[in-house]
Amino acid sequence: MSTSNLHKWATLPDPTPADLAKAAAGDVDAFKTIVERYQGMVYSVAYNVLGDVTDAEDAAQEAFLRCYRKLPQYRSEAAFGTWLFRLALTASVDYQRRERRRPEPVEVPDVADQTQTELGAGITATTLVSALHDLPDDYRVPTVLRDIYGLPYQEIADLTARPLGTVKVMVHRGRASLRLRLRAEREA
Amino acid sequence: MDCSYFRERIHHYVDGELGYLEVAELQGHLSFCPDCAAELAQMAELRGALASWGKVELAPPPGFAERVVAAAALEPAPAERTAGRVVNDVLEALDEALGRLPLPGGRTIPVKNVIGAGIAATAVLIQVERYLRRARELKPL
Repeated sequence: MSTSNLHKWATLPDPTPADLAKAAAGDVDAFKTIVERYQGMVYSVAYNVLGDVTDAEDAAQEAFLRCYRKLPQYRSEAAFGTWLFRLALTASVDYQRRERRRPEPVEVPDVADQTQTELGAGITATTLVSALHDLPDDYRVPTVLRDIYGLPYQEIADLTARPLGTVKVMVHRGRASLRLRLRAEREA
Repeated sequence: MDCSYFRERIHHYVDGELGYLEVAELQGHLSFCPDCAAELAQMAELRGALASWGKVELAPPPGFAERVVAAAALEPAPAERTAGRVVNDVLEALDEALGRLPLPGGRTIPVKNVIGAGIAATAVLIQVERYLRRARELKPL
């Protein structure tokens, strides 16, 4: 995975209502333009929730297939990208609940292309991704949903099927763990 | 000094969950506790970095779009109304219309699941009742 093409897809045009109608009618070429436009966003959401490149690809594919099946239901009150973002989040959390059984992350895969993308306060993408990886799923998923994607706690509780209080505790512990890890790396 | 109370409050503060008086209480503590003040500053930096990371679009593996499109090509056209899709759409519409019920402990459950469980339980009870009635009728004199 590489971050060298940051926002590459953001330069592609949003799908027009005609493109969406064609894709909904089963035109796979029209659907392909949608996938190419949003694959970075959907894959990033899946990767951040799941923290694993293989799982992220599976979950991102599932998100696009859900999008394909639901295209006739899309109403233009919300931006298409926002609608697809919600599908990507839901598909990723569902995947995590369904497929992931390991209690602890056991390895840090070769991710983020060791990018030195500066995220502020001297924190690089590599450092942050590595720290996120070392969090157990139970902490990482709610922390990602809360602090990367800004979801309200209640929505995280609904998505992850956990009590609200538990979700808050998990986010607090996830943040505390990340903060200590980043501080240790800074001091090292 | 035991700062555990204020350390927890820092999370509520960055989440915007504290009231005016609670914020004032926390700020009062931060004014003379450098450790907690440093924790709040680091927490803000961390959340800023996480938010920035959320804006980064990662490149999926090569050929990803082609694989997705190939999988989609195996599906019926989205506008085609298969029986499974009709059922799915009805369930989703019910989910959206009915919302969720709060449960003890802060959990919630979709109302449609409660209705579904109720229908299933009723069906089981009817079957049990039929079975018992039949057993009574067949009972030898």
